[in-house]
Amino acid sequence: MWEQIRSNRNKSIILVIGMGLLLFVLGYFLGLLFLDNATGGLIIALIIWVIMSLTAYFQGDSILLSISKARKISREDHPRLYNVVEEMKIASGLEKMPDIYIIDDPALNAFATGRDIKHASVAITSGLLQKLNRDELQGVIAHEISHIKNRDVLLMSMCSVLLGTIVILSWYASRIMLFGGTGRSRRDRSSGGGGAQLIIMLIAIVLMIFAPIFAKLIYFAISRKREYLADASGALYTRYPEGLASALEKISSSEIQVQAANNATAPMYIDNPFRKKGAAQNLSSTHPPTAERIRILRSMSGASYVDYNQAYKNIHNTHSIIPETALTASSGAIPLRSAQSEKEGELDEKKQARETSDVLWRLNEYKTVDCGCGVRLRVPPGYRGTEIKCPRCGSINQLK
Amino acid sequence: MICPVCKSDMFVIEYNEIELDYCNQCGGVWFDQGELELMLKPASSENNNLLLKKILSSRDAVTLEQKRRCPLCNKKMKKVNIGYPDILIDACEHGEGLWFDGGEILKLVQQLPTQSTKENSNEQNVVDFLTEVFHARKQD
Repeated sequence: MWEQIRSNRNKSIILVIGMGLLLFVLGYFLGLLFLDNATGGLIIALIIWVIMSLTAYFQGDSILLSISKARKISREDHPRLYNVVEEMKIASGLEKMPDIYIIDDPALNAFATGRDIKHASVAITSGLLQKLNRDELQGVIAHEISHIKNRDVLLMSMCSVLLGTIVILSWYASRIMLFGGTGRSRRDRSSGGGGAQLIIMLIAIVLMIFAPIFAKLIYFAISRKREYLADASGALYTRYPEGLASALEKISSSEIQVQAANNATAPMYIDNPFRKKGAAQNLSSTHPPTAERIRILRSMSGASYVDYNQAYKNIHNTHSIIPETALTASSGAIPLRSAQSEKEGELDEKKQARETSDVLWRLNEYKTVDCGCGVRLRVPPGYRGTEIKCPRCGSINQLK
Repeated sequence: MICPVCKSDMFVIEYNEIELDYCNQCGGVWFDQGELELMLKPASSENNNLLLKKILSSRDAVTLEQKRRCPLCNKKMKKVNIGYPDILIDACEHGEGLWFDGGEILKLVQQLPTQSTKENSNEQNVVDFLTEVFHARKQD
């Protein structure tokens, strides 16, 4: 059933190839301008790209997880989260259980990473984990798992490498041109063939300015498309689009920005981690507007791709967002299920918060002391003393 | 978390499922925005971080007391008065939370319980919670 995703991927791959071509054209003209040698420019562009790609492929997930200060957890650390990931892994038909990470950050967000299905991780901020009930958590995890399942993670990291290479090349080229002239070899021969040289220079300047902008727009277009598909798959896996919708609502109403996010990692998150708003926000955003995503999810009449596509079309009055092949292959209606959380004697928000902070204190090696008066003390790992006075009842507790 | 006053690692007190960051050396307390929200939620149906917004919109108190830096965002905090005559607390301008110096906690605990006129206000709930947690310090 999953082969259909490939059609959507093919369209994305055309865009990626477009970005690749942009890189080569840029390298070609920069080579002509600075080295008098188009091949030289191409080779430099290629070398930078290959090095960055290899790093991203083999190290990308660990770099991303370490700059986000993510901590890996096991089933015992946070059973609720682990169970939800396991459920969604089964629902999506993923072969291998992804690694689960918690990021100690009060902001609300989540992301998936990893180069392929066998090396995948999902990460969620502690803030989000505290705020979501089981249905919402399921929606978020399903969205992230479908990024893994649809191979978005690899696609997007390859895209960001291309984008990065283009940006770096243009940036250095423009600085060299501003401050260093265009190299000796050109000036030596400048008595002859000035016209052709001028044209090359003009093209190179135009490319330096516009290539990064175009690359970014392509990148954002690819990224937004993947988000819709991940939302649709998320609804399909959970059969409860309201879970993801209400999670997105909570995320978008939060004012706290993810501390470790930057432009390169933004598309990895479930919702745009930047809170600033501007005129060009829609065009240059890695994510579709959240309000719209919520509206689509809420107007779904079933849980299948067809239902998502119908809901999307009702709102946009335009073409489909889900690839044709996926629509025809998803045979039969998939009914929505009702909310789980209310039935199960759901944890209240305080309990959810303590469940999550419990993990974080443990991961940060704080010691726990329970005083008889009902106070629980967390002692930082740097504390040297052997006993601690309870600030509530004044009794002395021994540190184990 | 690092104590904004004495720069040592802070302890954490959990009471009634609410966490407070507590400095074992100077007795200062950090009440985090998220924890404030959790504590006040059942009492007030209104928007969650209303209390912080309200506190931040009040005027900067005139004081010679030294400005403290927020332990989370490291920006200088605002000195504000929360209903009691001589108790000045520090509030993070970015809404990360509230800081109570050790001495302020002591004053709060030693207040007569009925001194505040505003019953059941958010401020009163915060003060009640703090006095409940630190009531042993009355004897200090």
